[in-house]
Amino acid sequence: MDNLSLLAFGSDGWGDELLSGLLVTIQLAATTLPLGLLIGFAVAGASLSSHPWLRRFGRGYTTAARGIPELLTLFLVYNGIAMLLNAVWRWLDPEAGFVELSPFIAGVIALSVVFGAFSGEVLRGAFQALDRGQIEAGQAIGLSRWDLFRFIKLPQIWRFALPGLGNLWVNLIKDTALVSIIALNDLLRMTNIAVGATKKPFTFFLIACAAYWLLSILSEMVLARLEERANRGVRRA
Amino acid sequence: MNTQVIEKNSSQALEAPLIARDIHKSFGELEVLKGISLTSRQHDVTAILGSSGSGKSTFLRCLNLLEVPDAGELIVHGQQVRFKHNRLGEAVPEDEKLVERIRARLGMVFQQFNLWSHMTVLENCMVGPLRVLKQPRAEVEARARYYLNKVGLDNRVDHYPSHLSGGQQQRAAIARALTMEPDVMLFDEPTSALDPELVGEVLLVMRKLAEEGRTMIVVTHEMAFAREVSSHVMFLHQGLVEEEGAPEQLFRQQESERFRQFLSTNF
Amino acid sequence: MSFDTIIQYGHLLLEGTWLTIKLSGLALVVGALCAMPMAVARCSDRRWLSRPVRVYISFFRGTPMLAQLFLIYYGAGQYRHELQALNLWWLFRDPFYCALVTFALNTTAYQTELLRGGIQGVPRGEIEAAKAYGMSSWLRYRLIVLPHAYRIAFPALGNEVILLLKGSAIASVVTLFDLMGQTRTIFAKTFDFSIYLWAALLYLLITMLIVRVWRRLEDRLNPHLRQRTVQRSSTPAVAVAPTE
Repeated sequence: MDNLSLLAFGSDGWGDELLSGLLVTIQLAATTLPLGLLIGFAVAGASLSSHPWLRRFGRGYTTAARGIPELLTLFLVYNGIAMLLNAVWRWLDPEAGFVELSPFIAGVIALSVVFGAFSGEVLRGAFQALDRGQIEAGQAIGLSRWDLFRFIKLPQIWRFALPGLGNLWVNLIKDTALVSIIALNDLLRMTNIAVGATKKPFTFFLIACAAYWLLSILSEMVLARLEERANRGVRRA
Repeated sequence: MNTQVIEKNSSQALEAPLIARDIHKSFGELEVLKGISLTSRQHDVTAILGSSGSGKSTFLRCLNLLEVPDAGELIVHGQQVRFKHNRLGEAVPEDEKLVERIRARLGMVFQQFNLWSHMTVLENCMVGPLRVLKQPRAEVEARARYYLNKVGLDNRVDHYPSHLSGGQQQRAAIARALTMEPDVMLFDEPTSALDPELVGEVLLVMRKLAEEGRTMIVVTHEMAFAREVSSHVMFLHQGLVEEEGAPEQLFRQQESERFRQFLSTNF
Repeated sequence: MSFDTIIQYGHLLLEGTWLTIKLSGLALVVGALCAMPMAVARCSDRRWLSRPVRVYISFFRGTPMLAQLFLIYYGAGQYRHELQALNLWWLFRDPFYCALVTFALNTTAYQTELLRGGIQGVPRGEIEAAKAYGMSSWLRYRLIVLPHAYRIAFPALGNEVILLLKGSAIASVVTLFDLMGQTRTIFAKTFDFSIYLWAALLYLLITMLIVRVWRRLEDRLNPHLRQRTVQRSSTPAVAVAPTE
């Protein structure tokens, strides 16, 4: 079989399998993004808060989640939550069998934990980069706290944080590949399966790499557009 | 004086270490230099004046080829630099090695000092003679210390540039140039980036150098320096020499209306 | 929480830690050696020099390291006969070498990009001064541009050290018993969750140690940035005249 027909759709080619894996990869990243950002905002808020305990928590979380390998975090979540769930389950119903955490959910949680820590740092930096003078100018014309946040702070935080968040998004896409290790049928795992059946590892892993590469390049193009939009009215140095 | 012809024999070269004739330079559509000539003889102190945009800094940068002239002649120490045009139509020197040798004979002092920030003041002074001129370390270090002493920085030799004031940095930059023992010292608005109260210390050093008989070409806004120290003054306007001559005569009476105006706003 | 598991298997975790450090350390050194010439090429005006480097960087930064590892470790099998003919099969048969090659290729890309940022961050004036003193482009790079670029890139390079160390945990997927690999085997034997926490603690300790060491080195490397209170600030408060 030549390489092109290997990629055909239907029962003799692997095109549809790979495509379904790619979709899972995208779903995983897209589900993680809002959750991770939410955690990020919370962590940034905690580390900037005037409450010493909250600040300590923010700093501790960031250090831990950024210092531990993503793969280990994934196993911590996957096995840890499953064990916890089972303990609770058995306490409720001693006769119950073993429940397993879905790899997709475990993946989303683990990746959100990591994304939250990194994006928290980016957002904190953006908050701190806000120009005090502009905020005071907003207060001076009598904007409410909420309007001040909405119209003055948020657009600028967005502008400062966008490049960093963009990097994290590309990292997130790449980190989804780790979830294939706990048997989620994402792009990399589907590729693995195809390799097992066809004995063409180089061809298929190269195709997988190309697909990830394409996703990264597309993301970077979209991000460049977004940055351009966010920076209108700002002169480049 | 403009029409004087100079033969390219070596005794003449020693008398006039730097000759530029009819230098032209454009940046894209903008013609910045429209034919400027300058002969710098031994012990000459040439002051180049002009408002911003007159091309005076560009002209100075052409002299040590930080900008490559589009047309004209440049003879340094009796050696003519030839230019060609590359595929993109940019002017480039024919012989890079010759350019490097020429630059080593011309000391350059920049407006923004441009000291190498990861080296101490002493290292800044030594690296050129050591690596470019390949002179022995002991000799270079002694010379560097001598010149640092001369500019009043003998107690700052092991400091990094970021730990010095602007005036000290500029004096260090002058010592760095001197340690190369150049034939001609080029100064590109050496006091323009300094706080007013620090200008004096740098001018004092420059005045001392002039009195010692160093050949200097100085782009400056300091009229008092030009009048009292220089031996020759050039006033540039829109890429051309508008007026030039000896300072005593030029500052007493001006032919050009523009130069008169320039003087009245800059004194 | 009981300490039985860690007491019984602790030495395995330490062995794994050593492999993790060896693997990522070697890869980082190889990467550092390759990154310097590649960064210079990346900054070149000659497109035929900078283009391939750009593509290389984009590929290795744009794809998961796990996929790269599979491509090299499993992918080599597809060309086994060719590799045997070239006498290279020993390299690709061994998971340690495969992981090392993958990590080195990967970190080379990242380090090159960081160093490029450093090179482009060297103040133009300092390069001009080097030109004005007659330094050839070789001397300029060696004495001015690269020493300065490394100082600029240094903090980011420390980050990359940590990122690669963490990333190296995927070595466990190709049967290597690094810290992650040991942890997984011990868990498979004991089902004691605490072993993951011990591993996390070890990783955290190493990363914090790296942060410490790096900060020390940075201080040592940047004496010119250390505060000296006696002197006034270096940058002139007013830059009066416009440059031409």
